[in-house]
Amino acid sequence: MKRIILLYTSLLFLLFCQGLYAQEDGNERKVATISGNLETNGNFFVEDSLVGAAGTPQYDHQLYGADAWLQLNYNYMGFDVGLRFDLFNNSNLLNPQDSYSAQGIGRWYIKKKINKLGISGGYLYDQIGSGIIFRAFEQRPLLIDNALYGVRLTYDLTEDWQLKAFTGRQKQQFDLYGSTIRGFSADGFITGGEESNWTLAPGFGVVGRTIDDDMMNRIVNTIESYDIADSIGAKYNTFAFSAYNTLTAGKFTWYVEGAYKTAEQYNNPFAEQANGTIGKLEFNPGSVLYSSLSYAQKGLGITVEGKRTENFTFRTNPFVVLNRGMINFLPPMARVNTYRLTARYNAATQELGEQAVQLDIKYSPSRKLGFNVNFSNITDLNNDLLYREIYTEVTYKYKRKWQLLGGLQLQTYNQEIFEVKPEAPLVETIIPYVEFLYKFDRKKSLRTEFQYLLTEQDLGSWAFGLLEYSVAPNWSFTISDMVTTDSEQFFKTVEKNGRVLPVDVNRSMPLHFYSLSAVYSYKSNRFSLCWCRQPEGIVCTGGICRYEPAFNGVKFNVNSTF
Amino acid sequence: MKRYILSLFICTLLLTGCRENMPVIDCLTCEDGPDGPDEQVRKVLIEEFTGVRCVNCPQGSAQIEVLLEQYGEQLIPISIHAGFFSNPYTDSQYNFKTPEGDDIIGFLGEPQGYPSAVINRKKFSGQESLQLPQSAWAGLIPQELDIEPIINVELENTYDSATRSLTVKVGLTPIDDIEDDLRISIMVLENDIIDLQLTPDSSTPDPEYKHKHVLRDMLTDSSGDDITEDLTASTTIEKEFTFTIPDEWVATNCSTVAFVHRADNMEVLQADEAGLAE
Repeated sequence: MKRIILLYTSLLFLLFCQGLYAQEDGNERKVATISGNLETNGNFFVEDSLVGAAGTPQYDHQLYGADAWLQLNYNYMGFDVGLRFDLFNNSNLLNPQDSYSAQGIGRWYIKKKINKLGISGGYLYDQIGSGIIFRAFEQRPLLIDNALYGVRLTYDLTEDWQLKAFTGRQKQQFDLYGSTIRGFSADGFITGGEESNWTLAPGFGVVGRTIDDDMMNRIVNTIESYDIADSIGAKYNTFAFSAYNTLTAGKFTWYVEGAYKTAEQYNNPFAEQANGTIGKLEFNPGSVLYSSLSYAQKGLGITVEGKRTENFTFRTNPFVVLNRGMINFLPPMARVNTYRLTARYNAATQELGEQAVQLDIKYSPSRKLGFNVNFSNITDLNNDLLYREIYTEVTYKYKRKWQLLGGLQLQTYNQEIFEVKPEAPLVETIIPYVEFLYKFDRKKSLRTEFQYLLTEQDLGSWAFGLLEYSVAPNWSFTISDMVTTDSEQFFKTVEKNGRVLPVDVNRSMPLHFYSLSAVYSYKSNRFSLCWCRQPEGIVCTGGICRYEPAFNGVKFNVNSTF
Repeated sequence: MKRYILSLFICTLLLTGCRENMPVIDCLTCEDGPDGPDEQVRKVLIEEFTGVRCVNCPQGSAQIEVLLEQYGEQLIPISIHAGFFSNPYTDSQYNFKTPEGDDIIGFLGEPQGYPSAVINRKKFSGQESLQLPQSAWAGLIPQELDIEPIINVELENTYDSATRSLTVKVGLTPIDDIEDDLRISIMVLENDIIDLQLTPDSSTPDPEYKHKHVLRDMLTDSSGDDITEDLTASTTIEKEFTFTIPDEWVATNCSTVAFVHRADNMEVLQADEAGLAE
C-alpha cells in the first residue's frame, strides 16, 4: 500500500510541481505534455436461454458488467512517464463463464533516453524479432496483458545498431507470476550504399526464463506422480534463441526467422500416460522456422509465408493454460478475416506442432478494379489437416459514387483440435459474401453486407445481413441480423454441447441474432450503444483464440483520446 | 565489427549463464506410497467439477483415480456435477445436479475449461482462480499434504439399513487455540453409479460409465455451518447430524465427507471421509 501511495505521490509531483507549461532549460526550450486515453465497456446482460445467454453470474443476478482502462502519459525533459488505471466489475473478459471484479494500477512506466542509453522501468511492452521468443503485449478483448514488470536498457552502438537487455517478471492481472524472465537482443540495419537497392535488417535475440522454487516443487511433485515410463527431467532455466533478418532488394522483401528453445518441461494435454490418463508434462527442446517473401510493384502484391513449429510452447510455467502466461507469440498463418461469417472459424496457433503455408496475391489492373486471392494450409507435424482456406475477393469502384466488393471463401476447420471436441468432424464451409457502399453525397453513405455460410457441420448454416447508414463525421447507425438457416442442426448441436432448451422451442424456426447500434464520434471521442444478440463462437486476435459464450443485452462503449 | 560480435557473444553468455543443478526427481509410483493415516494426518480435499455432457471430464476423473492410488485415504475426492455441462440427458437415469453443487460452483467460481478441480479451496500462486486445470493437480497435492493440520476432524457414521437412517458424528479437536472464524461442511457422496456420460471415445454418451464420488447432498448449508463453539486446544467439539438415505441410492456405495474451512477465504484446513457401516 505504501508503495502505491509513494508512486502516486511521485507521479503527482512530476505532474504538478514541474509545471505543465513551456519552460526554459538552458538554451533549449522544453515543453511538458500530458496526454491520455480512456477505453470503457459497459455491458447490460439480459438472460435469453434460447440463444445460450444464460447460466453465468452476469445473467443470473449481476445483470451488469464493466471494463475500463484509463491511461495517462506525461513527457517532460526527456522523461516519459505513464500510469494506467484498470477496472473490472463483474467482467467476463478473464473467464467468459465467470465474473471477475478487481481494480487498481494496471500499468506504470518511466522511460528516459540519456544520449545513447535508454532506460525504462515499470510495466513494459516489447518484443524481439516477430515475437517468436519474446513478446510482452496487450490484447484487451481477450484480457491478455503480458507486460514485463522490470527494467530495460537499450544502447545505440551506432546509428544502425542497437542493443537491448531486459529483466523482470510477467504480469498476472494485478499480481506477478513467480518466474523471472531476462533477455537480450541486437538489431541492425545494413545498406549497400546510396546507389544500391538492397538493405538488410539482421537481428539476434536470446531470452531466459527461471522457474521459481514454489513452481519447481509443483513440477517435481507432478513428475513424481507419474509411472516410471513417463518420468522426465526438469530444469529451472530455459533459453530461447532467435536469429532473424529482413532483406529488401528492389521489389522483393524477404523475412526469415529461426528460433530454438532448450529442453524444458511443458504440458502436452494430448499426450497419453502409461497408466492411460491423458495429459502429461514432457521434456523436449523446441524450434520454429518462419519465413515470408513479398513482391510489390504498382498494382501487384504477392506474399508467400511458411512456418514450422515444434514443441514451442514458452510460458511462465507449465501449468498455465489457454492464453495465460505466454512469454512469446507465434505469428498466425491464416488470413485475418473481418466479415462476421468469414471470421466465424479461425485457426488458433498451435504451439506444440504446426506446419503452415500461406499465399496472398493482390492485383489491381486499374483504380476501379481490384482482386485478392488468399490460400492458407495448416497441418500438424503428421500432415493431418488442421485448417485450409481459399479466399477470393473482387472490388469494383465506380467513381466516388459507389463501391462493390464480393467474393467466396472456402474453409476446412478441424474443430476437434481447435476447440478440443473429441470426435467432432471437420467443418467444411462455403461462404459467398458481398458488400455494397453507396455515397449519397460527401457526408451521407449507406453500406450493406450480405454473407451466407453454408455448412452441414457444427451449428449448421447461417445468413448475415447488415445495413449501415453514416453521416460523416459524427454519426453511424447499423442494423444487422445473423440468422440460422438450418435450425434443426443448430438446436441439435447446442443441445449436444450441454445446453438445456426450453421445452416449447420450435426447432425448425430460424433463430435471429440481431443487433441495433448507434455510434457518435466527436473529435477524438467515440460513443457507441448497441442492442446486441450474438451467438457463441471462437474469438481470435492474432491467432490467439478463445471460446466466447452467447451474448444478449446492451453494450455501451466510450473511447476517448485527450 | 569484431568488437560488436564479441560483445554480442559476451551478452549471450552472461544471459544463458552456467550449468544448473537440476532438481532431484523421485518416483512415487515405484514405492509403496505414503504411509497410511495411523493417527490424524493431513488430508487433502479435491473437488472435481464435472458434468454428464462434458466430453473431456472422464479424463480428469481417471486422473483422480490414479492420484487416489498414490495417496490413499489422504486424498478425498468429490465429484460435483455443476456448471455448463451438467444438465442430464433425457435418457439419464439420474440427475446428479444438486442445489448445493450449484451454490458451490457459484462461490468457488466457474472453470474456464474442463477438466477442472479445486484443491482445498485454496488459490495457489500463479493461478488466476481457485479452479485448477488437470495438469496442476498432481503437483499441488503433496504440497498441501506437507502442511500440518491445525485441527483434527474425526468422522463416524452409524447407519441403520432397515430405516435407511444415517447418523453422522463429527469430532473437531484444535491442536492449538484458534481465533479465526471456521465453518464445517458435511457432504454425502455416492460411488460407482452407472449412468450416461459423454466420453472422448464416442460422439454418443456411454450408458455403462461408472460415476465416482458423486456429491448427492449436504447435511450442512452449502457454504458450511458456522462453528460457534470456542476452539480451544485439545478440546473436542462434537456435532451430530442425521439423514435418511433415499431409496434410489445404493447405501453401501455411500460415504460422508466432513471438512473444516475458513469462513472468509473458504480454505480447507482438514477433512475426513467415512463409509456407511451398520
